[in-house]
Amino acid sequence: MAFVNLQNLAYKYPLTKTNALENINLQVREGEFVAVIGPNGAGKSTLCYALAGFVPHFFKGEISGEIEVDGRKSGESTLDEWVLNVGLAFQNPFNQISGAKYTVFEEIAFGLENIGVPRDEMKTRVEEAMSLTGISDLADRSPYSLSGGQQQRVALTSILVMRPRLLVLDEPTSQMDPIGTREVFGVVRRMAEEGMTVVMVEHKMEWIAHFADRVIALKEGQIFLEGTPGDVLTSDVLIENGFGISRYTSVAREAKKQGLWKKEKLPVTLDEAVEGFK
Amino acid sequence: MFEKIKNNFNTQTWVLIPIAIAINIAVGQIVLALKLPVYLDSIGTVLVAALCGPWAGALTGALSNIIWGIAIDPNALPWWPVAFMIGYMAGRMAQWGFFKSWWKVVVTGFVVAITAALVSTPIAVYLYGGITASGSSFITAYLMQTGSDMISAVFSTNFLVEPVDKITTAMLAFAIVLGMPKRMIGGYPKASQVETEGVQSTTQLYIAIGVVVLLVLFAAFMLRNILGG
Amino acid sequence: MHERLSFHIKRDSVLHRLNPLTKLVLTLALIFLAFTFPWYWMPHLLILIAVIPLSLLGKVFREFWLTALKLILPAAGFLFLMQAFFQPIGTDVIFKFYFLDITSESLMFAFKNAMRVFVMVSAFTLFLLTTHPSELMSDLTRRGLPGQFAYVIISTLQIIPQMQAKAQTIISAQRSRGLDTESTFFKRAGSVLPLVGPLVFGSLVEVEERAIAIEARGFTSKHAKTSLHEIPDSDFDKILRWILFALIVFSIGLNLWLS
Repeated sequence: MAFVNLQNLAYKYPLTKTNALENINLQVREGEFVAVIGPNGAGKSTLCYALAGFVPHFFKGEISGEIEVDGRKSGESTLDEWVLNVGLAFQNPFNQISGAKYTVFEEIAFGLENIGVPRDEMKTRVEEAMSLTGISDLADRSPYSLSGGQQQRVALTSILVMRPRLLVLDEPTSQMDPIGTREVFGVVRRMAEEGMTVVMVEHKMEWIAHFADRVIALKEGQIFLEGTPGDVLTSDVLIENGFGISRYTSVAREAKKQGLWKKEKLPVTLDEAVEGFK
Repeated sequence: MFEKIKNNFNTQTWVLIPIAIAINIAVGQIVLALKLPVYLDSIGTVLVAALCGPWAGALTGALSNIIWGIAIDPNALPWWPVAFMIGYMAGRMAQWGFFKSWWKVVVTGFVVAITAALVSTPIAVYLYGGITASGSSFITAYLMQTGSDMISAVFSTNFLVEPVDKITTAMLAFAIVLGMPKRMIGGYPKASQVETEGVQSTTQLYIAIGVVVLLVLFAAFMLRNILGG
Repeated sequence: MHERLSFHIKRDSVLHRLNPLTKLVLTLALIFLAFTFPWYWMPHLLILIAVIPLSLLGKVFREFWLTALKLILPAAGFLFLMQAFFQPIGTDVIFKFYFLDITSESLMFAFKNAMRVFVMVSAFTLFLLTTHPSELMSDLTRRGLPGQFAYVIISTLQIIPQMQAKAQTIISAQRSRGLDTESTFFKRAGSVLPLVGPLVFGSLVEVEERAIAIEARGFTSKHAKTSLHEIPDSDFDKILRWILFALIVFSIGLNLWLS
């Protein structure tokens, strides 16, 4: 039995004419790290909201099919119960600052205060989460004084500290430099190893190839391709349908046309490219 | 009663209120900087009242006033019940369907103005003996010197000053609602109160603006009479 | 403005260590005594026996009087002038100007009101100088104030400086595009909309995402909330609160009895 189970999911926002999601069938096992890619308007964020309970509980609209996480159905739960199990962090870090707190430490504790975690446990959990994401030195700063990348780390930490069973991330590294991005992917991988299930929308293909177990490509609200990063991220249909690909893939693809790339499989990461060109 | 208060407040309400208070204060200060003869410091209050309901509007008004009083002008502090009632009354008017077209919004502004005039009168009379720290007290002083009793002098002054400000405020809040994409409105508790059918009549808008201009002229005329007398 | 919205000054003093609710009750007690105690010199006495000693006790003497000079005295002074000129009471005319008489009665009346306002704002200022907003909110939430109120208060205090910065940016941007904020009445009136529009819509767009972000962190959770900070509340605090409360009741009672 899959940990996350989407059955024939279709969803339409209020006041819109077309479905944002259509015929989504997706199973994710516990501890799996699934990356979601797709062009703008493909329904990536809507999929995140659906997993995190905001579709339909927050947005209303018309929904059909099933959303099931850890054996519980979203339709039979309430949003405040659902978020205890499923954590969501998204792209714009500024809007994720609660505004109700003056320091990063308090900001990260906000969620734990809301769900009634005792004080001593709260402090330990906040400290642990901050050292995990490498922001311990920001503890006393105002969340508003941070850079976009730092704010994104705070947003991620604020959700991690709540220890959700399923972690849903919608472009959580968009404002980070390559080093930051790599670190965050590393943290997420580690959480997955420890049993947290992760669904993450990203377009940084190299890091997906490095860290994710599986890739889902969305297009026009439907699952378009699905498989291991190596297969999906190098497939020709992906390129032909306007998805971005890693620069290493595109270089090797050109090289293959010229007969310079001998392997059958195209690379996604630098290491694979170097290996293949040897 | 408790349920009726509670249904004004969902998470979007709680997020909107601080923004609305900040709008009140920022716009109030811009208008002050432009030296316009109005306050326009309740646009956010009326907006919350229309989208979320009377109690949310009342809370927004009271908090705006208290924060303005503490941080900007201490003389504003005792007037928070006025701001409370402005929010409450705007919410009630919206609930009764008076936030759906320009002429209805003018009525809302007028009713809110009368409410504000009524609530501020006892505060001005009992706390300040009729003369407050507002420039309009000049009129009150004249009316009292020329024989009016204090309560009617204060009320007449408020009645002269408030309608222009509150009708303009209500119209600006309505313009904001009209400018918001429909899907941005849907999440507020009383979204259906501000649902408008089709395109708003521009004739109505011009008439509404005309009403405000007339009120300004009326106030100016009264002032000239007072000063001339 | 930015620094004014975070009045609080971190120091170690008796006043800082008092429970936030005790300080709030103290503030209210000063205000109620100033406004309701039926004795002309009460506000003046309060300044002498409460406001000045408290500013010393809280180790914020300098900061308090700076705020008083910048904010409180001008407000109280303006009210004094308005009332002295326009208050039509009394017969003992000292000074005549146009249709306005300044009488000794109107001077006394104006002075009392200005002092009342001075006490009221001083009490608030002392409270804010020695109490961090999040301490106050944690304490009130612990006592049963819904957590959403704490959210609204603190969030407002943090948004206002941001909004004012945005307003300033917009004013400068519009000016550089040739919008005049210092010309005729109609031009100025016409310039309000292009100034206010971007400010308002820009922040309204954010509401939905902000709501999602805090709901994802249990904002609507039905669990009893806990608090990161422990706010001390001693027996001394409790006794002091009852004494102050009794004073408020006494003052209001005396006022009603005598009127």
